[in-house]
Amino acid sequence: MNRIHLSRRQLLATGVVGVAAALGLTSRRANALTAARMQLSWLHSVQFGGSYIAQDRGYWTDLGLDVALTPGGPNAPVEPPVISNQALVGISAADYTAAAISQGAPFRIIGVAMQRNPFAIASLPENPVNAPVDLVGKRIGMAIANTPVLQALCTLNDVDIGEIEIVPTQYSAAPLLAGQVDCLLSWATDLPVAMEIQGVRSVTMLMADHGYALHSQTYIATEDSLTNRRAELVALMAGEVRGWQDYRADTDAAAALTVERFPDAGLDFETQKLQARKQLPLMFSDLTEQHGFAWFTDDAVAANVQMLALLGQTVTPDLWDRSILEAVYDS
Amino acid sequence: MNAAVSRSDRPVFPGAEWWKAAVGVVVALTLWELTARAFTGSYLLAGPSEVIGYLAANGALMARALGVTLAEAALGFVYGNLAAIGLALLAFAVPRIERGIAALALLVFCLPLVATGPILRVLYGPGSGPQITLAAFAVYYTTLVPLLVGLRAAPATWLDMVRSYGRGRVTALFRIRVFAALPYLVAGLQIAAPAAFLGAMVGEFTGAERGMGVLAIHAMRSLDVPATWALATVAAAVSMFVYWVIGWLGRRLITGPPPVILAPPVPRRSADGPRRLAQTLGYLAVLTVLVLLAWAGLMELFGLDRFFAKRPDDIWAYLVGGDGAAEHRETLFAALGQTLVFTVPGYFAGLVLGVVAAAGIVLFPGTAAVALPIAIALRAVPIVTTAPLVILLLGRGALGMVALIAIMIFFPVLVACLQGLRQVPGHVNDVFDSYAASPRQRLVFAQFPAMLPAFFAAARMSVPAALLAATVVEWLATGTGIGSLMALTASTSDYNMLWSATFLVSLTACFAYAGVSWVERRFLDVYASEQLA
Repeated sequence: MNRIHLSRRQLLATGVVGVAAALGLTSRRANALTAARMQLSWLHSVQFGGSYIAQDRGYWTDLGLDVALTPGGPNAPVEPPVISNQALVGISAADYTAAAISQGAPFRIIGVAMQRNPFAIASLPENPVNAPVDLVGKRIGMAIANTPVLQALCTLNDVDIGEIEIVPTQYSAAPLLAGQVDCLLSWATDLPVAMEIQGVRSVTMLMADHGYALHSQTYIATEDSLTNRRAELVALMAGEVRGWQDYRADTDAAAALTVERFPDAGLDFETQKLQARKQLPLMFSDLTEQHGFAWFTDDAVAANVQMLALLGQTVTPDLWDRSILEAVYDS
Repeated sequence: MNAAVSRSDRPVFPGAEWWKAAVGVVVALTLWELTARAFTGSYLLAGPSEVIGYLAANGALMARALGVTLAEAALGFVYGNLAAIGLALLAFAVPRIERGIAALALLVFCLPLVATGPILRVLYGPGSGPQITLAAFAVYYTTLVPLLVGLRAAPATWLDMVRSYGRGRVTALFRIRVFAALPYLVAGLQIAAPAAFLGAMVGEFTGAERGMGVLAIHAMRSLDVPATWALATVAAAVSMFVYWVIGWLGRRLITGPPPVILAPPVPRRSADGPRRLAQTLGYLAVLTVLVLLAWAGLMELFGLDRFFAKRPDDIWAYLVGGDGAAEHRETLFAALGQTLVFTVPGYFAGLVLGVVAAAGIVLFPGTAAVALPIAIALRAVPIVTTAPLVILLLGRGALGMVALIAIMIFFPVLVACLQGLRQVPGHVNDVFDSYAASPRQRLVFAQFPAMLPAFFAAARMSVPAALLAATVVEWLATGTGIGSLMALTASTSDYNMLWSATFLVSLTACFAYAGVSWVERRFLDVYASEQLA
């Protein structure tokens, strides 16, 4: 099994270099590197480990691209720098992008890092939430901005959201441990990991296991970039693919690189290692096995469109543009 | 603390206050430690011992983060206060534009982080530009407002003298008014010290690579309670030190007791009421046009995309002209109503808390050693750190909300009032001394009247602060009102709603500010007519 992975990765990597050669991006000596920026959706952490690997191992410079990775933060939305052409690519999510589109932003999703949605409900074993129906009568701590997410989960599973008490909380699992809430809406790779590192056992219900099929950690670019900066987009995604393949092979190394690269971020190595491992099944699946990292099928897109309709957002499959990934892989 | 009080009341043991202060600090630290131990397992509070333990183990990391954030805060402090001083001097050199400056300063202060964050990040790109700018934004207003009051706190006879020598406004400004304003400037700078630090930390939420704000987010998310409170402690300690240095410099610069300020009463102008009304309306109309032009013009000048930088015509379409405008208005006004329900009591609670704390410190100077550090800490630490504790103690209901708003706004009131209480003229103090008046009598009959101009300055600058505080509390704890609508922008990109909310909050702040000014005039007409000249 493992051997097959390896050879497939090598195959993919070869394909990537081949594409770059075809695009005339590889001659490092002859041409100056083209600068491009990628806007991350959160503060530096192993969440973006594959990108750090791509940068560290020169996968982008191999392709003639000098990629800067800009961290996000609580008050750093991804869309403004991308629409302002400050960032060539942004890390977003299907629902965020759909909302931005409805506000007139000309974005396309050009790749999907998280095939399975990372949202989860975390609770404590003595009062667990194992299935959506367990939410009834519980107090859930979450950012108010995520209300549509909970609403969609409820609709999918015939749970009346009115039966759940929503308590606004920010950034921390402390309200759960202090007994202010019964459960938390969080990424499976976030607060549950923090609790585990602190030695607190928790129950995590991944929403993707209960019908919440929405692409996350998606790569977005403007229509303008798709027309005019195509070669750079292909090179950027090609580097990402190589970086994330390496990430998959050794998540501990990705965590180590992250901690080493950002000594001022206050990252804990053990936390990063655990987060890196937990993120793996969200990003890699049979689908990526078959087609490669970040790929999406028409079926997946259709499921997302349907899901977005549940969230009250009308989009067409055109929101997804596979041409960049096709250029990365089809050679 | 108060030169007059220490001179008259406590001649025997000058060291007694220090001793009491030391006991107070020890008691406070012990209480903190005991409370933290009581909360063990709740992941909400770490005591001094854990904080020291964290700092000992992670000193280098904290030092690097402090270096980054302190540099941002220092630059923001300098730029923000220079801007405030420049604007105040300009307002006095060209009196025609004073109200315009005050109004623009108020409007800029009303801009919420959700709106300014992305714009500043796009303008500056990566780096510390947004952090410095947000630190400057956090300080300029609370310096400008007291400064405008201080520049008026001069006896009319002194100004007459300048005039009798044939000199004009500018001479009066630099020979008289600047010196009269010094105590007010010192108070403004002291208010600015923790605000700049907080501004820089929160500024790092807009996508910074490093700094204490970045560490704070990571610490909270990873349930690292000692780290969270170590960061809070360092932020508070640095702010306290700067506060103390400014106070010390102020005491060295300001020599001699404040003068007796005699000013002629301002003549009532009821006779030309209609003309004045027309003038005021004309002024308002010009100002509105200027504000709208500046709003649209600056966004065009910097080429900010309409997607996130909405222009006045976008807001007009959203709220008045376009599809669904009635619905948008309804949502917005309902939210504003929810917000005001908490803002108004929070505002008054903050004012009362500030005045009571200031009076308490004047009556019992020993309490300053405990009360001021707590006050400074509450102002220097992001509310995301302290809010969970307040919520645990007081709940998410009205009491908790009002308390959180009061906590976020009372510090400027406290500092302004402390300074105001010190503005009792030397002669007046002498009279109280010669009658051996009690500290209480002195407080009520001399210090409170002397404090009024500073108090009202604080009351005015707390108006926008309370509104912004309410929106933050809503984002943090209730999920209702304008603050919640603004927070939704993060996931919905509904920048029309964000800018409409910002516009409405600013408008509300302007009206409330005008209301407070109206009350202020009624009081100062009697107690400090020089302020109305």
